[in-house]
Amino acid sequence: MKKQKSAVDTVWSFVLAVASVLYMYPIVMILFNSFKQERAISTGTAFQLPTAETFAGIEHYINAVNSKGFLQSLGYSFLITITSVGAILLFCSMCSWYITRVKGFVSNGLYMLFAFSMVVPFQMVMFTLSQTADQLKLNKPWNIWIIYLGFGAGLATFMFAGFMKSIPLEVEEASMIDGCSPLQTYFMIVMPMLKPTMVSVGILEAMWVWNDYLLPTLVLDIKKYKTIPMLIQYFRGSYGRVEMGPMMACIMLTIIPIVIIYLLGQKHIIKGVAAGAVKG
Amino acid sequence: MASISFKNVRKTYDNGVEVVKGFHLDVADKEFIVLVGASGCGKSTTLRMIAGLEDITSGELWIGDKLVNNIPPKDRDIAMVFQSYALYPHMTVYDNMAFALKLAGESKAVIDEKVKEAAEILGLTPYLDRKPKALSGGQRQRVALGRAMVRKPAVFLLDEPLSNLDAKLRTEMRSQLAHLHKKLETTFVYVTHDQTEAMTLGTRIVVMNAGIIQQVDTPRNLYTKPVNKFVAGFIGSPTMNFSNALVAEKEDGLYLEFEGHSVKLNAEKTKALKDGGYVGKEVIFGIRPEDVYEDEDVVKAGLEEKRVIEAEVDMYELLGSDVILYYYVGENKFTAIVNPATPTRTGDTTHFAFDVDRMHIFDKDTEVTICH
Repeated sequence: MKKQKSAVDTVWSFVLAVASVLYMYPIVMILFNSFKQERAISTGTAFQLPTAETFAGIEHYINAVNSKGFLQSLGYSFLITITSVGAILLFCSMCSWYITRVKGFVSNGLYMLFAFSMVVPFQMVMFTLSQTADQLKLNKPWNIWIIYLGFGAGLATFMFAGFMKSIPLEVEEASMIDGCSPLQTYFMIVMPMLKPTMVSVGILEAMWVWNDYLLPTLVLDIKKYKTIPMLIQYFRGSYGRVEMGPMMACIMLTIIPIVIIYLLGQKHIIKGVAAGAVKG
Repeated sequence: MASISFKNVRKTYDNGVEVVKGFHLDVADKEFIVLVGASGCGKSTTLRMIAGLEDITSGELWIGDKLVNNIPPKDRDIAMVFQSYALYPHMTVYDNMAFALKLAGESKAVIDEKVKEAAEILGLTPYLDRKPKALSGGQRQRVALGRAMVRKPAVFLLDEPLSNLDAKLRTEMRSQLAHLHKKLETTFVYVTHDQTEAMTLGTRIVVMNAGIIQQVDTPRNLYTKPVNKFVAGFIGSPTMNFSNALVAEKEDGLYLEFEGHSVKLNAEKTKALKDGGYVGKEVIFGIRPEDVYEDEDVVKAGLEEKRVIEAEVDMYELLGSDVILYYYVGENKFTAIVNPATPTRTGDTTHFAFDVDRMHIFDKDTEVTICH
């Protein structure tokens, strides 16, 4: 029995190792090519390691940072990600608190609506959205978070509500007896207890917002405001010419913040996703 | 310090289920009142209504001289200890205990003094920097008590606070609670389904069934003078033995006839049954297992031969200091707590006798006590 289990484990390890390589390979390739000269990227040597002849040093990184307003785009991406994720975490956690604690037609309906919003493809609403965003003047980096809140609310509310159900109601009742108002109960008792779910929802939403290309392209005035994924697109010049080196350097630079965030919070991801799945 | 007064309090949930029906009760200041009853009898709901965690459908609830029907929990001057302790998991023991005081705007020095004083009383001083998850069940329970204590509330509410502890710890905490009540001199309202807790802690006990108060009395009176069959059966472990019986008059007095047996009644019970017009009618009699004597103890107890019944022992249970014998009287399973030295074992046939002086007789229809 033990032997059979160990054989299954070995097979799984092999399968997952292959999957890891497949996932990592494009990133490693981009990393290598970001240090190569242009001609070495666009020929058959694209899949080779940099050599003494093809090595370009950090030249592409310098070009990427200095050209096309990289720092400005980085700032916009940070602004949009921070405001959107912040709004999603705050409003969706409060909303799930209401849905979980106040039983009734309205809360059940809201919950169903949030769950339903997760299965509606973005492409279905994107054209009407861009027009509505223009009319409501939600086409600036400092207020696009309202749109992100709408699109991120489904998953976030679903995850928060799952965890919220595992928080004993008695803890909140104890806080009410201790003298808390509902808002104090939320901010001083419920919110700190939501930390694992906050981190995992935050990471998932941050990855989505940071890497999102389509929504800001549709909504923002692309001449004035470019997020990092939009900027990367601008390394493709006219007549099919692509500045592969700076583009790859730019991709590598944009990966770094999200990887750092993920590494810092990864231990909470499983905790947060699995929270509420079983009775504690 | 405060008294509590329920005036025809009712609680009906949205689905129409009435869980508390016309509750009248006056709890005196500094009293330790215990609400007992089976699950779903409305005792926790009653406690939660005092706390303000449940709305009152109708009636009036007074704490001291204040009508509190519409007053939020935080303004009722109460503290509550929950069954699950309900500690704040992200706070240390110190912060858990200090939380209410911080919200009340007390100064740091006052908070520190009160928390440390409560921690000292409860033996929690070494654990003040720990989070609840690093504590044992008993320690958590004491933190919950401490959290309630520091506020010096007018009323202490406790909802089955010992039910999650093991038997040994429960006994220990029970005596701590009794000491705490003496020390704090505050009104305590305690909910439990454990009658040992109720009997040992309460100055008075409220026995509830299906949202209705059955009896409010001292532990001793509840045990010796239950007002109806429900209270008689609920209080006492093993439970009281019950059987239907016919009140028959013979030349030498009144007899209870049941399942082929006949037990002669004493003068007091004879008078009560005659006065109530029960002669020739069916009643229910109840006898506690400790008031049943077996074999040679029957003679020792000086019981008359006519009160003796013969039965086969269905099960023998040794508890250490006592032995419980289970036997059938007709269709009814009876128990007797007997001398542990008894040679009787499962399957043996032996003699039992009821101590008629301690027998309880109930009306068959209303189940109200006729005589004790």
